Amino acid sequence: MAEERPGSWFGFGFCGFGQALGSGRGRQVLSPEPLRLPDAGTDICGVSAAWSYTAFVSRAGRVLLSGSAGGAADGCRDAWASETLLVVLRDGRGPGPGAELQAWAPGSALRGEPLWAQTVAPEAGREDGAGGGTRAGPLPLLPCARAYVSPRPPLYRPLAPELRARRLELGAEHALLLDEAGQVYSWGGGRHGQLGHGTLEAELAPRLLEALQGLRMAEVAAGGWHSVCVSEMGDIYIWGWNESGQLALPARGLAEDGQTVAGEATALKEDGSGVKGPAGTEEGAAAPFIAVQPFPALLDLPLGSDAVTASCGSRHTAVVTRTGELYTWGWGKYGQLGHQDTASWDRPRRVQYFVDKRLQVTAVRCGPWNTYVRAVEQS
Amino acid sequence: MAEDSNRDALAGPGALWEALRALLPRTKEELRLDLRASVEGSVVVLLQQAADLFYGGRRSECLQACEAVLDYSWEKLNTGLWQDVDKDWRRVYAFGCLLKAMCLCEAPGDSATVAAALRACDMGLLMGAAIFDDILIKVAAVLQAHLLPGKRPAQGPAPEQPRLKKARNGHVSIPDMRSEKAVPRLHCPSLQHFRKHYLIPQTPVILEGVADHWPCMKKWSLEYIQEIAGCRTVPVEVGSRYTDEEWSQRLMTVSEFISCYILNEIPELKQDISIPDYCCLGDGEEEEITINAWFGPPGTVSPLHQDPQQNFLAQVLGRKYIRLYSPQESEAVYPHDTHLLHNTSQVGPRGLAAPPPPPGGRTTLQPSSVLSLLRCDLPSGNCVVIPWAPSQEAVPKARKRPLATAGQPSCPPGAPASQLPAHCSLGRGLDVRLSMYIYFVHINVLVLFV
Repeated sequence: MAEERPGSWFGFGFCGFGQALGSGRGRQVLSPEPLRLPDAGTDICGVSAAWSYTAFVSRAGRVLLSGSAGGAADGCRDAWASETLLVVLRDGRGPGPGAELQAWAPGSALRGEPLWAQTVAPEAGREDGAGGGTRAGPLPLLPCARAYVSPRPPLYRPLAPELRARRLELGAEHALLLDEAGQVYSWGGGRHGQLGHGTLEAELAPRLLEALQGLRMAEVAAGGWHSVCVSEMGDIYIWGWNESGQLALPARGLAEDGQTVAGEATALKEDGSGVKGPAGTEEGAAAPFIAVQPFPALLDLPLGSDAVTASCGSRHTAVVTRTGELYTWGWGKYGQLGHQDTASWDRPRRVQYFVDKRLQVTAVRCGPWNTYVRAVEQS
Repeated sequence: MAEDSNRDALAGPGALWEALRALLPRTKEELRLDLRASVEGSVVVLLQQAADLFYGGRRSECLQACEAVLDYSWEKLNTGLWQDVDKDWRRVYAFGCLLKAMCLCEAPGDSATVAAALRACDMGLLMGAAIFDDILIKVAAVLQAHLLPGKRPAQGPAPEQPRLKKARNGHVSIPDMRSEKAVPRLHCPSLQHFRKHYLIPQTPVILEGVADHWPCMKKWSLEYIQEIAGCRTVPVEVGSRYTDEEWSQRLMTVSEFISCYILNEIPELKQDISIPDYCCLGDGEEEEITINAWFGPPGTVSPLHQDPQQNFLAQVLGRKYIRLYSPQESEAVYPHDTHLLHNTSQVGPRGLAAPPPPPGGRTTLQPSSVLSLLRCDLPSGNCVVIPWAPSQEAVPKARKRPLATAGQPSCPPGAPASQLPAHCSLGRGLDVRLSMYIYFVHINVLVLFV
């Protein structure tokens, strides 16, 4: 989770447990607000949000918890927050580059003993500390890339070494893996099409996404029941459940609430409130609603922007473009889309706040019902 | 009691609130669910907060907390298989529905607010599990009594009318069944005779005169059902068969369904159905009997499929044609090879549309010529017994998910295909299906209106 350029964090969405998000008023924040932490001035380099609390990791190695869980600890390199378990990667106790993986009950405030701890091998032949793109990704994938952490027992899950995992993301019932060659694997439950193999069947072991074979992916992101990946060329592929429009495909539930823009001639602005005639489709009649997309679909952002990074909440999606804009879509009931309202969207929509404040977005991390964004001043 | 029926607005809103409040315990300490560790501590805190806010009279904050409870537990209900969902999450969901319904009714509101509260109760009944001694049923009854006919809220924009798949020639075509062997008919056989000659040897039979004294046979009409249950929210399957691409499930009120399409979860209707004594020949408990009610226009087709329980199927209104294939023929009816549709044949009523690779070298399937087929013409007042159930090890204790979300396809419980009996029906009107499940100690009563 290390970032090269200094920047500041913003948050919006659900904060019903008092987790630091913005100004701290109310149960939800509908528009991005600067993140305010008790330890003012902490340089946050990583954020991991569970439903009722958020874990912040500072560059100095301090983990701060905010929300239903509190507390802080030093000597941490990485943290991963889930509702039942907080996983922390700490500096090893002895000399050498080894690290210790610890699993804590969130309510323990990181005091006392962890529920479970294990020494983990460092990455073979790699330097410790801030790394470049090929370093094995953040938790829940372990630095050695040989295993990952799960919130449900067994906590420590080995991965086949031939997978050469670079990045791993967990959804409510599935897992996505990105390997060194940019290939994507998925496994777990598939009833909502989130595995992307074209069926609704579950997979017990990592299975290659054949539809994406040959395309080099740079990032993967898993939502509750949907999956996103971003190619090195900047294209977005998306699949899974679309019940709130989280795939940016026409969603019936939104139409019945009068929220969908699919097939409607609403005020379409070029900033991405809508798209005039999405690429390749002439929408004379209303486009058919899509509940489940079981294999990857290519998604075009407005203005043909290239994506660089993506993150998913349980039912929403956020993407950052090469030019530093943030697009969000999907479930918006708690303001997690950042469009100053609680509407859900089944089309990508630019978060205008960062444009207005002349900020360039560099990173995004979604919690289940909220979104944290890192941005820098435009040069 | 409610007075002043001259007003259009809800008569005596205070009376409604009094009646609802009386259903809840006096103190917030008593409104507590005992939940296992599978429900996270943060959720327990939120539930307590919601109860505190409710008893503290902070209605809008309580509603906010309820929404979060409902949204979070809804996500749990949609994770994994429905049969594996921890019952405590369903109880949490029901709790959220209860407080939401109560909060909506606290301030004097119009009938639209009461309808919204009733809808919240119905969602809790559909997706939740019983809490506080079936309190949601009681709350729904109180709300329903206040939503008198004629004072129902004006229908909002009519739900989008999906394309109903009509029979090609516009008529219900009656299949030619002359070459098929008929299911035998008996008039009220004795329990012993029925058990010895039909249940144990697993032979289907039509029981005449078994259901014609049920109150529903006289009372049920579209008008009656509209009056009793019109404001209740129920799941509706849309599409002529569940294997079609356009098939989906929706939530709507019974009135909306009746007005849109023609014309279960409602206990008042259940009382009009009696359970034939034959069902007691199983080892199950009477409270394990469930009743599903099915409405349908003429021409509705159920594809060839197998249910995990043995069935008594009784017709209330209208007429139904049924084809039954014996369990020995299950491989020959080409079950779908996906887990979801494992209990469903790919064979339509007139044969396969496109034969899959034949397992035994057969290239075309003519059900009437190859298989031992029984046919059944079921007019109202009669019951057919479909005694075949799959072998014990084959069937998980699956129940149908009432409704996950509108628009998402949902299928009957998927039993792995082994010893597949099947029935395929063209029907109209109403029928009742009672299922008996000897091995798993279950008796299910399904009411079918097709």
